[in-house]
Amino acid sequence: MDRETRDMLLETADRFFTDRCGREIVNNVEKGAWPAELWQAIEEMGLPHIAVPEEKGGSGGTMADMLALLRLAGSHAVPVPLAETALANLLIAAAGGEPKAGPATLALGALSLSGRRVTGRVERVPFAMVADRFVTVAGDKLAVVGKGGARCEATPSHAGEPYGTVTLDGTAVEFVGDAPVSAERAVELAAVMRAMQMAGAADKVLAIAVEYSKQRVQFGRPISTFQAIQHMLAELASCVAATIASAEAAARDADEGGLVDGGRFSIAAAKSQASEFAHRIAAISHQSMGAMGFTHEHVLHHYTRRLWVWRRDFGSESFWGEKIGSACAKAGPQALWASMTASRYAQPA
Amino acid sequence: MSIPKLEFPPFHLPPEAEALRSEVRAFLGETLPKLKTEDRFPSWNTRSAEFSKAMGKKGWIGITWPKRYGGSERSFLDRYVITEELLGNGAPAGAHWVADRQSGPLLLRFGSEEQREAILPRITAGECYFSIGMSEPDSGSDLASVRTRAEPVPGGFRVNGTKVWTSGAHHNHYCITLVRTSGQHGDRHKGLSQLLVDLKTPGVTIRPIINLAGRHDWNEVTFNDAFIPESCLIGNEGDGWLQVTSELAFERSGPERFMQNFYILRELVRVLGRQPAKRASAILGRLVARLWTLRQMSVAVAGMMQGGKSPAIEAALVKDLGTIYQQDLPEIARAIAESDATTEEDMADFLDVAQYATMMAPSYTIQGGTTQVLRGIVARGLGLR
Repeated sequence: MDRETRDMLLETADRFFTDRCGREIVNNVEKGAWPAELWQAIEEMGLPHIAVPEEKGGSGGTMADMLALLRLAGSHAVPVPLAETALANLLIAAAGGEPKAGPATLALGALSLSGRRVTGRVERVPFAMVADRFVTVAGDKLAVVGKGGARCEATPSHAGEPYGTVTLDGTAVEFVGDAPVSAERAVELAAVMRAMQMAGAADKVLAIAVEYSKQRVQFGRPISTFQAIQHMLAELASCVAATIASAEAAARDADEGGLVDGGRFSIAAAKSQASEFAHRIAAISHQSMGAMGFTHEHVLHHYTRRLWVWRRDFGSESFWGEKIGSACAKAGPQALWASMTASRYAQPA
Repeated sequence: MSIPKLEFPPFHLPPEAEALRSEVRAFLGETLPKLKTEDRFPSWNTRSAEFSKAMGKKGWIGITWPKRYGGSERSFLDRYVITEELLGNGAPAGAHWVADRQSGPLLLRFGSEEQREAILPRITAGECYFSIGMSEPDSGSDLASVRTRAEPVPGGFRVNGTKVWTSGAHHNHYCITLVRTSGQHGDRHKGLSQLLVDLKTPGVTIRPIINLAGRHDWNEVTFNDAFIPESCLIGNEGDGWLQVTSELAFERSGPERFMQNFYILRELVRVLGRQPAKRASAILGRLVARLWTLRQMSVAVAGMMQGGKSPAIEAALVKDLGTIYQQDLPEIARAIAESDATTEEDMADFLDVAQYATMMAPSYTIQGGTTQVLRGIVARGLGLR
């Protein structure tokens, strides 16, 4: 979609999320309520199909369009699997399938496919308890499994979202097609998706903390006028800016480099960065807001808890750090600088 | 809720800049092994006049400047690529660094035609080097409090006062010096001017200030009734503050703010060998990821500047994050090398370098604007002050 169309879509979605994803709905999801009306409205807007080609009933957007939308969703703590479904639908369409309506998620892990049957177990599958279907890449095939044949055990995330362990035991697939990407690549795409959601959440945390510091009066003046607070928030801004900048660079490289292997180094680096900075972002924002920000009443935790969960989803800073580090070590000291200026892993010298 | 905008739009360096990168890399690959420098791991403050002259011959100093002054009228992005290649490859570019980065651009913008013609072609040839005369014993972060006084006398100024932390003054030809030309101490931004001071001027005395690592980079420069001709006033009398702040903007977001000790990272890769343990790889990878991010941010700022914007807050953020990275780097690298270095011999070598990097580390978050000054700038950008 062209720039103007994307901006219009983002503006509409921003208004929609502001109106419909308030504190109540996020808290209710945590109590176990599935916001069916919200999901319905999101589907009517076509958001889960943003990166599905028009001839398959989607909006025909690119990877970049999808990731821009997911950054926005991250800044509203949208408590439904919009990100997972959008990426699942993109992959299903790329594998020659027809993405259906309904929430979907990604079960990326040790699953094996035999004929049209899938076996294996994946832990911490986001929104496993509410998804209609699970998408996985096994070998050179992409498979879609309906929730009917999957055994799901609830392991809610620390942000209260309905994550779960998914066990498949010779479960028949709804769809199988040639995988458009490798299993490893599917994790990379999910990682850049999360990094963009983290960028959105980080941005919101900064906005909340800055706004609070201007409202909160202590010792007869807004706390924003204290240098100690100013410097804390400036450091927070630097962590947030780095999270946004790295996620956006990875999103660009993933988009421009193509579905199969675009921006491998960038994605690894961005997810490592976003995950690493999550700690400082949460620590500084909470410190600057005192007890208020530590209450369940306040919305700050909608974002900080998601940052803590998302930093582990689809590879933590240790996971991606090891990928980058072992590639750099293998390539040797002389190749280090060259790999920094290329958007891919270092090549052995 | 108004969200402060902190965007660093991803920016691609254009193909001509990338083509230049290949040229610069090839040149450095050929030139650097032949150079002798006193430093094992040269950085932007390691000097070699021989190297600077070779850079001048290639046309890679003042590359953005007009051709009539020896420039090539190429883009700031071309300059960016040269700068990062010098740092990434450990070139001893210290002699011409300041002249190329800020003194030349300052003269181009505010200097007289006579000053430009006399000085700029010598800079681009790699033969004329500059110091920065801003700080004083009582005037560091609070630069507007400078006391060095230039009293108007027939034909010029009589200058008295002291500048400190003046890097390279014992080698360099000129020092662009911030002085009070009118009004009183305490008038703050008013009445300040910049003078182009020839460091050989009678009445100008240069004494070393040795830093904690035992190096002589800094100097104290004293002015004792030194006569500076009127023709050496840069810009208008009284415009010094405006000029100096525009000069500081050149200083902040460049790659030297996060790549000054890149050699430590390269040394870490060497000492860990080709197949480090998982934990060591992860820590190395996280350091590389941080550096990659800083580079994305810095390139984005360069892109904004090329697009005619003045991203002062973004530049301050890059310097804040970048200098803290440089400070963390020797610490993290040392800790992981101590547990994971492949051989003891490698480790001894590494420790030697790490020790030097550790001693230099405190300077990064002080020079060119302290962390606290930068955070004040960012806080203002966030609407907090």
